[in-house]
Amino acid sequence: MFGFRLQKRETPLPGGQIRAFIVGLLVALLIGALLLLMVDQNPLDIYAKMFSAAFGSSQGISTTLTRAVPLGLAGLAVAVAGSMGLWNIGAEGQIIAGAMGAAWVARLGPDLAGPALIPLMLFAAAIFGGLLAFGPAIARAQLGVNEIITTLMLNEIALRAVRYLVNGPWKDPDSFNFPQAPALPEQSVLPTLFDRASIAVLIAAAVLLVFGVYASRSAWGYELRVAGSSESAAKYAGISLKKKIFTVLVLSGTIAGLGGGLVLMGSSSSPSRLVEGVANGWGFAGIIVAALALMRPSGVAAVAVAFGAVQVGGLRIQTLGVPASVANTLQALILFGALAAAVFTNYKLTRRSAAQAVTA
Amino acid sequence: MNEETLIGLFLSVIEFGTLLYLAALGELIAEKSGVLNLGVEGMMAMGGVAAFWVGVETGNPWLALLVAIMVGALFASIHGLVAVVLGADQVVSGLALTILGVGVSAFLGKDYVSQAPGARFEALNLGPLNDIPWIGEFIFGQSIIPWLALALGIITWFVLTRTRIGLVLRAVGESASAADSAGSPVVLTRLIAVAIGGALAGMSGAYLTMSLAPGWSEGTTAGRGWIALALVIFGAWKPGRVGVGALLFGGLLALEPRLQTFGVEISPILLSMLPYVLTIAAMIALSIRSRNRPSAAPAALGSTYRREER
Repeated sequence: MFGFRLQKRETPLPGGQIRAFIVGLLVALLIGALLLLMVDQNPLDIYAKMFSAAFGSSQGISTTLTRAVPLGLAGLAVAVAGSMGLWNIGAEGQIIAGAMGAAWVARLGPDLAGPALIPLMLFAAAIFGGLLAFGPAIARAQLGVNEIITTLMLNEIALRAVRYLVNGPWKDPDSFNFPQAPALPEQSVLPTLFDRASIAVLIAAAVLLVFGVYASRSAWGYELRVAGSSESAAKYAGISLKKKIFTVLVLSGTIAGLGGGLVLMGSSSSPSRLVEGVANGWGFAGIIVAALALMRPSGVAAVAVAFGAVQVGGLRIQTLGVPASVANTLQALILFGALAAAVFTNYKLTRRSAAQAVTA
Repeated sequence: MNEETLIGLFLSVIEFGTLLYLAALGELIAEKSGVLNLGVEGMMAMGGVAAFWVGVETGNPWLALLVAIMVGALFASIHGLVAVVLGADQVVSGLALTILGVGVSAFLGKDYVSQAPGARFEALNLGPLNDIPWIGEFIFGQSIIPWLALALGIITWFVLTRTRIGLVLRAVGESASAADSAGSPVVLTRLIAVAIGGALAGMSGAYLTMSLAPGWSEGTTAGRGWIALALVIFGAWKPGRVGVGALLFGGLLALEPRLQTFGVEISPILLSMLPYVLTIAAMIALSIRSRNRPSAAPAALGSTYRREER
């Protein structure tokens, strides 16, 4: 169209994804600057304040890392499914389910000592996240039901489940009618690492590291990528596709669920308690994180920290009267910019006439 | 329960049905051309804030509606550019569109939160028709928008099934390479379908902020865009069935705030899960039933088309 066409490069540009991310970031900052000018703010000033809020102090860094925890685990959840060509759009709901599972265990055994309670809660969080993915997993594996839509629908169902709980059965009687569950028992809150960061950061980093190594080195990870790239190749290699689809989707939910547990128990706000907004859009942002990281766990960690920083910066400028939604806006813009830029690592724009001359 | 509350319920069923139908119809058109757009929620939010803004500034509901339609179409075209022209993944691009739309609309609408709407569509005055008991109130007592939605549904059905343009659109959505070989412009068709989808989602957002729940606040779309997405599947990509589904799901939305009035002891929050549960159930039922038959979904839905790779 328009005399131009996209022509596939013989070899993709080296370092294309990092370049794409940087282009995306620049595009986002530019469009964000226009939006900020529209509301009479100085973009350079705002961006400087965002950056220093996220990285300028030990406290800022600890908050950035805390926010990177759910982003990273949701991103990993999406990436694990994505490396097999499956879409888990349900990380948002699985985070909620995980937080509900952890809160439930705390309700059952509030007097357990921390060393017993904390692992139990995290275990329940992972199981609950996996359970929410169980239905879409079995429907996809056995019946071929599109997992994009089922996981998407379950987000809304999980959101209403937690809304029901904190407005009804689990509502804190001492909360002055505010819809929230009672505060978690003190011994269930994760120990502090530094400033506002808890050991949730270490747990998430460990999970990402294990998956990063395992996915790239193990036969399991190799089979996953084979199955993702070609169904028929997987069949010839004797890989059971149904089983793989099922386990990968449930595993994906488990990871996101664990993220929900860590959010609940390791948040910087005190006291920690279950509220409706526990997932805070992290599950959806995780999809962007995974896409920007090209479904690779190592990339997920890096992008998650970057997005954590954008969110912390967004919170900071909220105090200056700039809507906090600028953070979400920037995240989406980074993705659009990077998606567009990434195309050009594999394709180049050529004049139609020239391209035809080459093929002729 | 008296006559008045029942009429109020039916009125609200049609209002919510209209809201969902407009957005779902747009998504149906995009998906029929082979493009999945998960950005409905964001496009509705953009249309909603645009309409509310123009309404407050000019007081002209038709101008507000028109701007919302244009904003919706333009905003959807980001997805068109990224996913159709450049060929990025439709799922990622669509979700990013939702995040972007919700974010930007909150940003731009900041000063309009809790303001009174400047323009709205009033109930039509249809003379003697309004005097008919019951339906005179909840059918002929609606504004113009539900009627427009009905007309758009019929037009969509007609164009899709009875015209050459509809044939091209469906062909592009079933097999892009075959359509391309036959000389149909794949990329252009998809771009237009996505833009129309955005226009209708924008219209739905305008109806929300100007008529159904006049006002603007962040997150005012409250997940209705996801229901619209669900409706397309629930209605098996058929404008008529999607319409029936819209009334059903609209009915559930209308019941939500009224359960207590009717003395039902179920939490309205649990009731609000039903549209999503029903959609999953319908998807499973459809896939069991159509095991040996082709699926109702457009065959090329979600896949990028690049000519040199066919």
